[in-house]
Amino acid sequence: MNIAGTINVKEVVDYARTLPHVVDANEYVFMCSAPGQDLIRESIKRFEINRVVVAACSPSMHEPTFRAAIAEAGLNPYLLEMANIREHSAWVHSHEKRRATEKTKDLVRMAVAKAVLLEPLEELRIRMQPTSLVLGGGVAGLRASLDLAERGFKVHLVEKLPTTGGRAVRLGTIAHSKMSGSELLKPIIDSVESNPNIVTYVNSELEALDGSVGYFKGKIKRNPRFVSAKCTLCEECVHVCPVEVANEYDYGLSKRKAIYLPFKEAHPHIMVIDPAACNKCGECVKVCEPGAINLEEQPNEIEIVAGGIILATGFEPYEPPTGEFGYGRSERVLTLFQLERLLDSDGPTKGELVVSGSIPKSIAFIMCVGSLGTTENAHPYCSRMCCASSLKNMIRIKELYSDTTIYALYKDIRTYARYDEKLYERATERQIKFIAFEKTPAVNVDPDGVAVQVRDATLQERLIIPADVVVLAVGMSPSKDLDKVRSVVKVGCSPEGFLREAHPKLRPVEAPADGIFLAGSITSPKNVLETSMAGSATASKASILFAKGEFLVEPITAQVTEEICSGCAICIAMCPYGAISRKTMGEKRVAEVDRALCKACGACVAACPSGAMQQAGFKDTQVLAQVVAISERRNA
Amino acid sequence: MTEKPKIAMYWCASCGGCEEATVDLAERILELTNLVDIVFWPVALDFKQEDVEKLPDGSITASLINGGIRVTENKHMAELLRRKSKIVVAYGACSAWGGIPGLANLYGADELISRAYKEVPSLSNPDNVIPQHSVDVDGNTLELPELLPRLLPIDRVIDVDYYVPGCPPTADVTWRAIKTLLSQELPPKGSVIGASKKALCDECPLNETKPEKVLIKDLKRPHQVIPDPTKCLLTQGLLCLGPATRGGCEALCVKARMPCTGCFGPLDRVTDYGAKTASFISSIIDLQDEEALEEVIDKLPDPVGTFYRYTLAASSLGGSVRNSKS
Amino acid sequence: MSEPFEPKIVLFACNWCTYAALDLAGTSRMKYPPTFLVIKVMCSGRVDPQFILEAFRNGADGVLVAGCHPGDCHYIEGNYKALRRITMIRRMLDRFGIERERLRLEWISASEATKFVHVANEMVKQIKVLGPLAPRLQVSA
Repeated sequence: MNIAGTINVKEVVDYARTLPHVVDANEYVFMCSAPGQDLIRESIKRFEINRVVVAACSPSMHEPTFRAAIAEAGLNPYLLEMANIREHSAWVHSHEKRRATEKTKDLVRMAVAKAVLLEPLEELRIRMQPTSLVLGGGVAGLRASLDLAERGFKVHLVEKLPTTGGRAVRLGTIAHSKMSGSELLKPIIDSVESNPNIVTYVNSELEALDGSVGYFKGKIKRNPRFVSAKCTLCEECVHVCPVEVANEYDYGLSKRKAIYLPFKEAHPHIMVIDPAACNKCGECVKVCEPGAINLEEQPNEIEIVAGGIILATGFEPYEPPTGEFGYGRSERVLTLFQLERLLDSDGPTKGELVVSGSIPKSIAFIMCVGSLGTTENAHPYCSRMCCASSLKNMIRIKELYSDTTIYALYKDIRTYARYDEKLYERATERQIKFIAFEKTPAVNVDPDGVAVQVRDATLQERLIIPADVVVLAVGMSPSKDLDKVRSVVKVGCSPEGFLREAHPKLRPVEAPADGIFLAGSITSPKNVLETSMAGSATASKASILFAKGEFLVEPITAQVTEEICSGCAICIAMCPYGAISRKTMGEKRVAEVDRALCKACGACVAACPSGAMQQAGFKDTQVLAQVVAISERRNA
Repeated sequence: MTEKPKIAMYWCASCGGCEEATVDLAERILELTNLVDIVFWPVALDFKQEDVEKLPDGSITASLINGGIRVTENKHMAELLRRKSKIVVAYGACSAWGGIPGLANLYGADELISRAYKEVPSLSNPDNVIPQHSVDVDGNTLELPELLPRLLPIDRVIDVDYYVPGCPPTADVTWRAIKTLLSQELPPKGSVIGASKKALCDECPLNETKPEKVLIKDLKRPHQVIPDPTKCLLTQGLLCLGPATRGGCEALCVKARMPCTGCFGPLDRVTDYGAKTASFISSIIDLQDEEALEEVIDKLPDPVGTFYRYTLAASSLGGSVRNSKS
Repeated sequence: MSEPFEPKIVLFACNWCTYAALDLAGTSRMKYPPTFLVIKVMCSGRVDPQFILEAFRNGADGVLVAGCHPGDCHYIEGNYKALRRITMIRRMLDRFGIERERLRLEWISASEATKFVHVANEMVKQIKVLGPLAPRLQVSA
């Protein structure tokens, strides 16, 4: 009734019977209903039919229904083609019944032309390995690991540094709480340590990755620690070690020996030797009573299997080039991250803000360093966390040293997160002087001290602020590790250099390729809360895969005919999922499609210069058959 | 003594390069003349059209016809040779797909005549003489063949059994094709013989040097670049059509640092060589912005001529559909 | 010819966006001319320029390729590839004597039924002015 109101259905059915290869044509009021499906099945049996065209409503509605119907009659479900003659014809051309009927005949003819060339297709199911590989032991990685482990799924947690905790452990204080970063993370780090479902590999890196969603095979390289669990932290080795280098955990503000404990709450709680600094003098071995040191320890490799991968390798603080705002030219110019260390009660100055030997009487914070395009090297984006972080620190400093004057030079104040507006209020209450700038301030460094020049945008006046200390509120840059990560795991980059998510709003923690998830600031700047949420989100996504137990692969995937493929590699760059690679076949190279990764878009097919790459169900011959059938002419 | 197979070779609208290519067989010509009798080869031997007409139908084992069908005489000769031959081979790019003369299909026949006989700058034709189909001279009628509206590959006027690609086919390709024709096992009708089933990249020594993702940000013409001979030319921004072009030529041009221009034509599954080539080239231009894209494509002065250099006449549209009279 | 010229336009519609928009136009009972013959592809990135030229060869007076908006492609960036190819082919149509307006690339999301109807009506009007293409293809040997 729906369709017949506009279209002369009988005329279309009669026409269909005249088409080549059509042995039976029928009409029915509700083809998708049980009697309608019976009609189809009977026709298949009676006429030994091997291709079916259903001209009816949109395939988005009932294609699965009809596929199942013909499968019950013994046909491969993919030997079906639908012509949409309801939404695309009857319902939109009710004002032109004659032409609508003619168009419907055209659509049926095109569907028949394609149906003739359809081939049976197989659905592929991949069994899911319910284990995760988590790369990165910071907040995001720890959170994700714990969430998964508590659901009962096993996790391999791989961390490059000798300790977990990432950057958040090095925060002096956490906003809205009295805890330091390491205090905040201690419970979660302990839980991860004690959870039997999680195996943590510190001092380790992912060297190679094969396979795809459901069954990844990873090679983890465990770099030698040179110190075993026998270590009692007596620190005799530290006393005798002759080598001293800058301590990266304090962002260069302190020194450490070649053998060291990264920080007080480091996990594992034993010493580690930095192989780049160590000169193998052996003095530490001599004094180590438990005999925990082995300078000859070699790296070893472990192979693991995982169904899903969570990438959580974090960010890097923006490093101003030497001279930018005086950075690197004076001890008195610090970054926000260095300031956090100074305010940490377990930090290099035990929580006392001592810079260049004294407590500063005047501090100028310059905001948006490295963000919002304030300098030539700066990123164009906002780094989100620096406003709240800076305000938190300004308030803390005022709490400790009420006499110190603090200037906050800002391009914008973005305290958007929960409770963060209160930070702004409290800062103004504590007489912190806010100075808005449009033109980026300049810092002059001379032997006596530093002075900041800024044009106050509100007052429209140039100010010169003598400061004992300048704190640069640096933003977040993509980690330099990403090059290595991306060479092992095939994930794309965004224009800013972070990893790119499948969709910025609807799929923010998934990579385009199935089975790979992105947690934390690996995709964009985030504060600790947002990072933690992202970690949980990836765990949730991964567990969806694991709960299903298997992964259904699209049958209409791209396929290579190796006899024709020249290995020209044009297709590889076309695939956003990294599903195509070149493999060696004897002396030659050919393209190879990983069916588990192929999402069946067909972009590689249109680019393939030789036609060797085709898409099942949408081959050139099949689509061209529809094109040729647009007119009644039988072309040579 | 059993009769040797008979071979005929003829040129329609061609440049003579295919004849030269056959001569390039060098000493193998002697082996060829031991194996076959050449019954018709206007460039080299003094047989006339009537000699062919006198042969029984189907008595020529194989006719290798090069050149496209441009004038009525080409059509006539192609049809004659078809009648007299068991096998007809479209030899060379022109007979297979129209070749370079096929580019004339971008203009109507009137425009071609007008250009050649009225507009060419170096022309001296003060009396505006235009060739006619027939003219009376001293009581006799002389006829010239007529220009067809378009140049056609020969398979548009006669049934063709095999194709030998190239502009011209190389000597090795020619020899392999001839051996195939004389063998007991003939390939399926319609096959391309003497050449590869894969694109040029399969035999190109620079294929290995490609990075994982082949993407370009710019297009360069050969005179703008001194190519690095150790790296794939396409990755250096040159328009190497190797990925879309049938192999078999041993990548001679690329080895001489010139990007492939496509003279071995399409692979089996491709219906329109120029469209497929345009597709792969545009696909690897790594730009998302329409304006930036247009700027790069602007560097190609003549995309149709570049991508369809040898195959325009065999393409989907076959040539321009502009009304040439308007 | 006494019959007015009613163009035939081939529409390559991507499964996730444009095809859904066409369905929506149907369920909303919108009206547009019965000119468009729809060929479904999973992504506008599947559209091979060979299809476009074959469409013209087989009697299409116009070809419309439609997919998701840039940035919203279901397959991340298939539509950018469509953009590159269509830009190149449209350039080439000039030399083939085919007016550029006969090939159109549009971004139509799943909810933009109204946009589709608007584009449809506009394109039909334009092609009617340009006239039929099919007769110009009858160039005989």
